[in-house]
Amino acid sequence: MSLKDKAAIVGIGQLPFAKDIGRSEEVTALEASRLALEDAGLAPADIDGMMKWSIQNTSENAIARSLGVPNLRFFGEVGYGGGGGCGVVGHAAAGIAAGMARCVLVYRSRNRGSGGRPWAGTSREREVSAADMNETALFSPYGFVRPVDQVAMFARRFLHERGYTTRHLGWIATAMRRHASNNPIAMMRQPITVDDHQNSRFISEPLRLLDCCLETDGAAAVIVTSAEMARDLKQKPAYIMAASQGMGPRNWTMNNFFKDPLLESPGAYAARDLWRMAGVEPKDVPVAQLYDAFTPLVLASLEEYGFCKPGEAGFFVEDHGLEVGGRLPTNTSGGSLSEAYVHGINLIIEATRQIRGTSLNQVPGAKLSLATSGNMVPTGALLLRGD
Amino acid sequence: MEEFVRRTGGHDWIPYWAAARVRELRFQRCTGCHRWRHPPGPMCPHCGSMAGEWALASGRARLLSWVIVHPPVLPAWKDRVPVPVVLVECDEGVRTMGNLIGASPDALRMDMPMRIDFTPSPDGDLVPQWRPA
Repeated sequence: MSLKDKAAIVGIGQLPFAKDIGRSEEVTALEASRLALEDAGLAPADIDGMMKWSIQNTSENAIARSLGVPNLRFFGEVGYGGGGGCGVVGHAAAGIAAGMARCVLVYRSRNRGSGGRPWAGTSREREVSAADMNETALFSPYGFVRPVDQVAMFARRFLHERGYTTRHLGWIATAMRRHASNNPIAMMRQPITVDDHQNSRFISEPLRLLDCCLETDGAAAVIVTSAEMARDLKQKPAYIMAASQGMGPRNWTMNNFFKDPLLESPGAYAARDLWRMAGVEPKDVPVAQLYDAFTPLVLASLEEYGFCKPGEAGFFVEDHGLEVGGRLPTNTSGGSLSEAYVHGINLIIEATRQIRGTSLNQVPGAKLSLATSGNMVPTGALLLRGD
Repeated sequence: MEEFVRRTGGHDWIPYWAAARVRELRFQRCTGCHRWRHPPGPMCPHCGSMAGEWALASGRARLLSWVIVHPPVLPAWKDRVPVPVVLVECDEGVRTMGNLIGASPDALRMDMPMRIDFTPSPDGDLVPQWRPA
């Protein structure tokens, strides 16, 4: 038994992103959930399941009682922050395929623009972060506590071994910004050049400001139903052709410096299982939303999801390779780097739009659409398909 | 130290930091199969033994990577940045981290030999640090 093609994303809802959204994560989760229901043509009474990120502060029962959901027969959560998103949707599909639910609401609301930084102990996510999400915070005696530091440590070795340069990272940042420039709700819309990237200030050398995602208040929701139910709803279904998760050996978040091979991420494991379930190959996929909390993650994903060989990702991203019309249009709403950083739910929503044909940077005729989650932590991936 | 939150990694790490206070680098070693492991944990992932010792390491390592931390940083680090942090692989096969001491980051080269030293963290505790060998 497989969940292949058993479920579909039928509703998406997303609030305008902001640095300070001015209301609670509970309120914005409800607003986004209502938008997603409306988009699907469904009512709260149709929902019988919920899935969320474990780092989400607002619990399912709070959302269910305010929406007026009569019963949740299926609910749960997936951990590891930005690694969780595709797994959250994947679990929804698994629950549906197993007959435990027919209509699952997935939501993520996060006041990270106005609400403080987990690594600085200034957000409500701090306790979860310290205990679970940010294990390398034990390197606090060295001032090495931010996610960017951990990715920078990976990045220096990765660039060295593969022969990539920080200009390749710049090509990633510029492509995301190019896509965001067409997206009225993106937080950063002013186009940038590779030189702008090279001239931005260091945050954790070798990484610069323009290698980093945004600090965002945002909320978004997705409705997943059985494929059967999806056929009769308002929107063109985005069928979940495959879903996978991966952790790899001896995992230690954020970045795992303690396993072999040093440069292999959990994404490599999620990728293998994804392609196996889907029965298609990377070359069949015309558009991707690759998790981009920091630019080096995209270079690693291009290799690990099989879009290029190790050592070829630099060439792959150069000269507008990730823009619409390029080798692989990537993060077509602007991604975490330029649209918003909400632990990747915006990437899943954009992957759905590409199947519907409604992206602001549409890849014409896209029949398959990939989304991935944070690949330096326990991760997941989704492959969506149209009819 | 003002607003310095020292996280230690919890119970399993106590012997690692305790050894550093007396200027020793020690790692967990399984007494069942004698393999080194780091970060520490309650069970040997190779043989399943829960018996272990904290054995003295050579203090020799090779440089795998490094970063230079720039702002924004925690309050305790405001006057210390930019600060270099190194990732090393010890001769025992385990990896660990520390600040770079006794050299400028400009002197660093991939895979160069490093050796252990100990200087205080912002809370005054001696912690393992690394300098070019």
